[in-house]
Amino acid sequence: MVSVAFINPLSDEGRQIVREMGNLDLFREDNAKLIDLVIHTRLQDISEEFIPHNYVDLAVKRLEWYIRKKNDPNFNYNKYSFLFNYDITRFDVISFYLLCQAVGVKFGPNSRESRAMVESQGKLMQSRLSEFSRIDREDLIKKILDSLLSDEKVKWTFFEDILSSRKLKLEDLVMDHGDIILNREDFIESFSSKIEHRDPDKIYNMMIGDKVKELIMNRMIMQKTEDYIYKVQQKSKREIEPNPLLLELAEKVSTVLSESFPSYGHKVGGNGEIKAAPLNPNAFPPCVKLVLEGMKSGGRNDAIILFFTPFVSYARLYPDIFRKNVTVKVSDVDPNLSVVQNEILPLIYGAAEQCTPPLFDDQPQEKININAKLGFGMHAVVELKHEGESIWYTPMSCEKVKLHLPSLCKPDKTCKRIGNPLSYYIRKLWESDETNGNPEGNED
Amino acid sequence: MDENHFLKPASTEERRLYYREEWNIEDIPDFIKNSVDKREFGFDHLGRGPNDRYRVFRSLDLLRKFLRYRTPFAAYSSVAFYEKPQRRDGWIKSEVVFDVDAKDIPLRKCNCEGVCDVCLNQAREIVCSLMDILKGDLGLNDIHVIYSGRGYHLRVLDESVMKVNSDVRGQIVKYIIGAEVPQSEYGSDGVTYKLEHFSLPFGYPQVFTERVKYAILHLTESTEMDGVNNKLLKDVIKYREFINNDEWGLFRGKVGPIRYQRLIKSIASLNMGWVDAKVSIDLKRILRLPSSLHSMVSMKCMEVNNLENFDPFQDAVPRFVYERK
Repeated sequence: MVSVAFINPLSDEGRQIVREMGNLDLFREDNAKLIDLVIHTRLQDISEEFIPHNYVDLAVKRLEWYIRKKNDPNFNYNKYSFLFNYDITRFDVISFYLLCQAVGVKFGPNSRESRAMVESQGKLMQSRLSEFSRIDREDLIKKILDSLLSDEKVKWTFFEDILSSRKLKLEDLVMDHGDIILNREDFIESFSSKIEHRDPDKIYNMMIGDKVKELIMNRMIMQKTEDYIYKVQQKSKREIEPNPLLLELAEKVSTVLSESFPSYGHKVGGNGEIKAAPLNPNAFPPCVKLVLEGMKSGGRNDAIILFFTPFVSYARLYPDIFRKNVTVKVSDVDPNLSVVQNEILPLIYGAAEQCTPPLFDDQPQEKININAKLGFGMHAVVELKHEGESIWYTPMSCEKVKLHLPSLCKPDKTCKRIGNPLSYYIRKLWESDETNGNPEGNED
Repeated sequence: MDENHFLKPASTEERRLYYREEWNIEDIPDFIKNSVDKREFGFDHLGRGPNDRYRVFRSLDLLRKFLRYRTPFAAYSSVAFYEKPQRRDGWIKSEVVFDVDAKDIPLRKCNCEGVCDVCLNQAREIVCSLMDILKGDLGLNDIHVIYSGRGYHLRVLDESVMKVNSDVRGQIVKYIIGAEVPQSEYGSDGVTYKLEHFSLPFGYPQVFTERVKYAILHLTESTEMDGVNNKLLKDVIKYREFINNDEWGLFRGKVGPIRYQRLIKSIASLNMGWVDAKVSIDLKRILRLPSSLHSMVSMKCMEVNNLENFDPFQDAVPRFVYERK
């Protein structure tokens, strides 16, 4: 009998497993039972280097599976077969909590480590479920959903958190007067009279069936994982010193993620860092190119001030902002503001001049707004003494661009794979370096 | 009455006439009157935008006196409720709003410069269809329709959505206007089936189908759409009678499946223009105050109780317009 904790470590069963465990220091000691289970997993590659010997090893392998599967074209599934052996549930649950705590203590919920942890949990649940027979899968999903959803009828607003984090899209749900339709009976009652020439039962299986239930279950657990990491972080702030084992694991998590980071040609440093470099307009995304061609009255202000200013400033000075997940000031990367004065502001003013009518002709005060978005407060001149009076705005995501400036969003093929115009720029730089034969990350 | 008297800016004297002789504090809808001390008010005194912000009125009577004596060019109140509205601090919740501006909607039936009865009526049609989705799909019922003077504001006050953040509001906008092409491949028992949006008469596919239908039926030969060339546009117009009869399969067959995909992708992008999404995702927006005067067009901004029969040129014209010579 499969435990629901194998899919949802945050379930009551999962929490019970954690409660029964002893002190954290035992988790780095070799565990003969774990090793035995791994070695005897069907199809498992038993080379010594792939065998997790203890809970910490297992936690690292858990994340490594996701990262390698995502990035390594030669990924070997058999190295990680043990992750799909439900006999390891007790070990797996503990390693899940260890990972969440390590990430929460060291990096917090708004970090790439947290994102990777949450996404890995989502993918692992999905892959594990796909290994079960249909009946077992349905049974597990039903049990888990019953515990996650308190009522028979669930309003879409119940999923506010997962909608907000875009783990789920409203379009993914089938709704009737605010209720999410999950059960066959509800579906037939609500929609069978509208369906012509097709069997409503079949339509239910296709559109909802287990698919939507599994999606909702998956996204809810991902959200709960994120929430748990947040709680750990909040709790750790009240503690004097985190357990060294968690910090040690956090270091290992960081290493796993760094190894996976792709090289971006000559702008990439030894640790995967993307360095600042003069702008390459050929790598700009279509939305930025449209702004440079000139905006018409109506969208001018938002396009130049909210969209273009953050984009060019970060692309030029700190393209790594989203990976680093830190708060920076312009002067941290441009100490005497020479790049701002000589490159960034002229480029922004040039784009403003291209507008119809030119933006500053009728709204000269917008120059002050530009300075504010660079972090220099509401002042006519960019000066170090005013830095910090406002924040340096980070570039708008594609999602925000679509809502704020829909006329700018003319996606090309590259856009499909990215969620922020700045990521587009970095990817294009990387692709252009690859084409130019400088894939090794050497400095020019 | 001569049509030239309509939609002209109001003079200072006309504003004074309006606020002192026609306007009544009771014309402000209850949903604002009941929360006047929680909202920020903003005013435009000179016709250069609402520069007089952060205004607060502890009672309706103070608001009444302010409007009577200052007779502003435009008056606004926040969609947000605050603990300290004078500082826009202590955000409690915000109405979810949708702004349909007749002058900005795509595929306008008219070619007027600003607004006219044709595009205002088109805006009204769009509001009706948005309301259907808000109610039928999302189960929202506390919805107020406001005629803004140049279009409509849909203001949703269901408690279940008033605390949601900008990201969720963005998702609501995209759902109700059909901003994404729905998936067309569905799996069941290991088999993948292809089902176009028009085969599914419920949920988001139906929303999208309605939007595509509306767009196709309102295309003209001069419409410019990304990814839709003249040949495709002509073919769409040539065969759109099939759409009118809900014969989608025949229409798709005539246009060709690849070109059909290109068409609906372009319409999904165009759909972003039906409402001003910036307004919907802004938690601290100020909106024109119902009952106030839209001085640029001399129209009353007012709550609409019966949208089906509402005619702004009958119901929202201040008396002073009829007295113009």
